[in-house]
Amino acid sequence: MKKNLYFPMTMTMTMTMTMTMTMTMTMIAVAVLSGCATSAPPQNPSLTAAHSSYDSARSNPQVTNLAALELKEAGDTLSKADDAFSKGQGTAAVDHLAYIANQQVGIAQETAKRKTAELAVANAGAKRTEVRLEARTAEADAAKQKADMAKQEADAAKQEADAAKQEADAAKRQVATAKENAELQAADLAAADAELAAADAQAQRDQALIEQQERQLKELNAKKTERGMVITLGDVLFRTDKARLESGGMRNVQKLADFLKQYPQHKVLVEGFTDSTGSDSYNQELSDRRANAVRMALIDMGISSDRVTTHGYGEAFPVGGNDTAAGRQSNRRVEIIISDSKGNIAPR
Amino acid sequence: MMKKFNRPKSYQMHRIGATVAFALFMAGCASTPSVPAPTEQMAVSRAAVNNASSAGGNEFAPLEFKSAMEKMDAAERAMGEKNYARAKLLAEEALVDAKLAEAAARSAKARKAAEALQEDNRVLRKEIDRKTK
Repeated sequence: MKKNLYFPMTMTMTMTMTMTMTMTMTMIAVAVLSGCATSAPPQNPSLTAAHSSYDSARSNPQVTNLAALELKEAGDTLSKADDAFSKGQGTAAVDHLAYIANQQVGIAQETAKRKTAELAVANAGAKRTEVRLEARTAEADAAKQKADMAKQEADAAKQEADAAKQEADAAKRQVATAKENAELQAADLAAADAELAAADAQAQRDQALIEQQERQLKELNAKKTERGMVITLGDVLFRTDKARLESGGMRNVQKLADFLKQYPQHKVLVEGFTDSTGSDSYNQELSDRRANAVRMALIDMGISSDRVTTHGYGEAFPVGGNDTAAGRQSNRRVEIIISDSKGNIAPR
Repeated sequence: MMKKFNRPKSYQMHRIGATVAFALFMAGCASTPSVPAPTEQMAVSRAAVNNASSAGGNEFAPLEFKSAMEKMDAAERAMGEKNYARAKLLAEEALVDAKLAEAAARSAKARKAAEALQEDNRVLRKEIDRKTK
């Protein structure tokens, strides 16, 4: 408020100065106001300096906001200084007040600085909390990143392991294949061995069969001839002049039938013969009938008719002399020729 | 006040005024009139200097503090010489010097604290940045 009075007062003062010539009373007032400073310079340097520092402080929002009280004190003192100056209260008094005002501006500025710093301290606490929070977040992020990286590494390791496993599996498979091949080869070898063994066994069996066949043929009283095995049914096995087989003959035929059943690939040719007694036509017919009787007997015993062929030769092909009874008897016969295993019989 | 002085216009008044003005003029330039001992001011200023000292004014605002001390000493001397007017002036100046020293010391301390905290935060942040890298 006092500060506001400063300018009007100065103006009034200067105005009165211009009117000094005519108004002595004004002179008195001036004398009173200026005191000893009648010859004082229009400005006091320390007061000017105080004003300048006060103005600069007042233009600082920090000071006006945080040190309003201190600034007001400085302003009040400055007004007093102005007052003293305008009243002409000696340089010492004005300097004194200006000095105090200047120091008070300083106090206001320092107070503002202190409060700013104190705010900063308070904020620093909050800031520290914020930074800590950021740190935790960053740590968590880092941990997560680390974990992610570890996971990636683990995945990579797993992939590698899988690849290795696959390789191992492939190797294993190769080994298995090789083993299998070896086993197959071994099996082949074994099979070959078995085949050989089987062949041996077959050969042995064949041998046995041949032996058995030979034994059976021997039992049939078969004789080995150029045309194959020949069984001769003698005259005694037929009734005289008859084509009917005696029981002994039947037994021989039965053996033959059994043989033929056992070896179905063999066929037989039944040939009938007589001695020279009697007419040729009769002998021919008798030889036919006797051969046929053997054939019928074989068919009766279950041998297929196409496996048995007959041929009567009459008195041809004698095996003994017709001039003796023993010779004639040996000529009256039926010869049964057993074919080879393919059913072939050499013709007579 | 001034208007009252300005208003009267008679010559008589002018003469009287001039006499009064002279008297006043003389009074203004005369040696200090008797001033009571500024005991209270001295106590207040002394207390302010003590406060400034305990606030660390000597360390943080040595110029202002030295000035306050010297002025206080001078004020004490003036008191001893019974020059009370001078003692009062010096004590008044010592008071603002001391107050300025105290304010400067306290603001310096506060700034130091704030800077320390900011440095702490800076270090902490640096540490975090380093850790997270």
